[in-house]
Amino acid sequence: MKDELILRVQGLLTEFYTERGTVKAVHDVSFDLHRGERLGIVGESGSGKSVTNLSVLKLIQYPTGRIKAGKVLFKGEDLLGQSEESVRKVRGKHISMIFQDPLTSLNPVIKVGKQITEALRLHHKMGKKEAQAKAIELLKLIGIPDAENRVEDYPHQFSGGMRQRVMIAIALSSDPEILIADEPTTALDVTIQAQILELINSLSDDKGVATIMITHDLGVVAGMCDSVCVMYAGRIVERAPIDDLFYDPKHPYTEGLLNSIPRVDRDQNQRLHSISGAPPNLINLPPGCSFMPRCGYAMDICGKKTPPEIFLEGETKRTVSCWLHVKEDKHG
Amino acid sequence: MDDTEKLLDVRGLKVYFPIEKGIVFKRRVGWIRAVDGVDFSMTKGEALGLVGESGCGKSTTAMAVAQLQRKTAGQVLFEGRDLDKMTPEELRRERMNFQIVFQDPYSSLNPRMQAGDLIAEPLRIYVRRGILTMSEEEMKKKTLSLMDRCGLSSSFYNRYPHEFSGGQRQRIGIARALALGPKLVIADEPVSALDVSIQSQILNLLKDLQDEFDLTFLFIAHDLAVIEYFCTRIAVMYLGHIVESTDSKNLYRNPLHPYTRALLSAVPLPDPRKERSRKRILLKGDVPSPAVERPGCPFVDRCPEAMRRCGEEKPALRDYGDDHQVACFLYEGDQK
Repeated sequence: MKDELILRVQGLLTEFYTERGTVKAVHDVSFDLHRGERLGIVGESGSGKSVTNLSVLKLIQYPTGRIKAGKVLFKGEDLLGQSEESVRKVRGKHISMIFQDPLTSLNPVIKVGKQITEALRLHHKMGKKEAQAKAIELLKLIGIPDAENRVEDYPHQFSGGMRQRVMIAIALSSDPEILIADEPTTALDVTIQAQILELINSLSDDKGVATIMITHDLGVVAGMCDSVCVMYAGRIVERAPIDDLFYDPKHPYTEGLLNSIPRVDRDQNQRLHSISGAPPNLINLPPGCSFMPRCGYAMDICGKKTPPEIFLEGETKRTVSCWLHVKEDKHG
Repeated sequence: MDDTEKLLDVRGLKVYFPIEKGIVFKRRVGWIRAVDGVDFSMTKGEALGLVGESGCGKSTTAMAVAQLQRKTAGQVLFEGRDLDKMTPEELRRERMNFQIVFQDPYSSLNPRMQAGDLIAEPLRIYVRRGILTMSEEEMKKKTLSLMDRCGLSSSFYNRYPHEFSGGQRQRIGIARALALGPKLVIADEPVSALDVSIQSQILNLLKDLQDEFDLTFLFIAHDLAVIEYFCTRIAVMYLGHIVESTDSKNLYRNPLHPYTRALLSAVPLPDPRKERSRKRILLKGDVPSPAVERPGCPFVDRCPEAMRRCGEEKPALRDYGDDHQVACFLYEGDQK
């Protein structure tokens, strides 16, 4: 079952238009998602991880920004080529999203119960009573005590962790095939984060939902994903199954990132490794590899040509975008 | 004064915020007990980390130590002198010795001031007050040397904050805090607004500065891994109390308080194999409201090991040997 391809993103290119110039937020991004798989997308702020997923759901608004090129194939059909109306039938029903900040993504003047039933009534054409009963059932499922009464509460009466649980309930209410979670625990404390990740894990296991987990925290990815894409300056620099990425990183950025995290499980007497410099400005990106100015292995060609995303020899799941791993002529 | 003596001594610190109702006739209807009886002391040259989740009172504690937050009760002694008993003039002089690095480098720098002026501002204020004597030239020289030490090129002198990245802004914040040559630096979440690759640069910078200027750090953070890397001693806070305090290596090897254990087990490790084999202690529910006065242990509602006594009596922070203090009845018999 795990091998069934459910989402294929190909050559995605998303730009934003600002006063200072065009921001190439996502540049030639491709990845696959299989049924039941948990894919992590990691990167630092501005690396394009959120924009990638907004683009998948066609949520980029013109004229601020535009998806310039690429395909998003959901079960073989390109979402980007479809009308807004038909995309809307997929969005929230077949592909759901959980956002980072549960306070701003819930409507403060509508009761929590109503916000859950809204999705059910829209996508499943349920009646009022039926939807209300389902909403209570969902709240119980996500571990909110006293669900019968809490459906009548407003979002501000819930704590941060509980609001995020409500968001998860809404996202899963329509039995989606894909769940996109955009930094779902970044605004939460670690003990609450552990509860929420556990909840996402167990619910997506039960229902066989494929999950895309967007995060800046490599620890979160290690704990729940099957495979990872590492993004830097709008591009995927490395794609790999989880263990390969953590124990045998191929891209210098991935390697640097892993070494610069302080860890609680090690006695760290030696100095923390750090990547010098800062991520580039995405307006007027210089030619070549965007990581070159910070890279310890930089070569001549790195400043001239953008490295292609290539599969590692003998691998079908690992790609890397780095000249170090390109075997042929590096001077052409 | 000899070097091993206490640099900072905080005793019975309490900070309560009133909850008020009514607009014209305001009346107090309760208290938020942000910090509810905190004791700790720091020796010269150490780095003490205060760690805990949001609302546990770690930042309020730091601000009360820095005299930026009025205390409800308690004493703060700096090199043995009670900061509360000082006149404003004396306190101003004393303040040169303890400076703060703030969390958010985007909102803590005046957007209309140039980097050089931002760093020199503390010097300028003390010169104007007649506490320091320094010429403009000396000030500029000092500023440039601080910039150099904090990894900022001298060509940045006339730039404005918006021209800098988050990491560079935090470097300005650090240079500014060091301008007056403090003995104690209070760092309130100095790296939590930064990306991982920048975070490690700033942590390394702070470590280098600590060695070079012989600084003592009170380091506030919610990230246990950052605290472990940077600090020599750690105090874990929960709901306005210190629940456990010990040497940083010891805390990770041998956490005693049930809250510390849960907290440590909740930290995700960037190591898939370890993550798969790990057993998490999942806590029930959320942190309770600090507005409710509770007779017992602050952690009792969520504690997997709670006993009847825990709801009735507050456990005191006691020493169990090896400089390991815990506030929990589970260890009462082992006390030394």
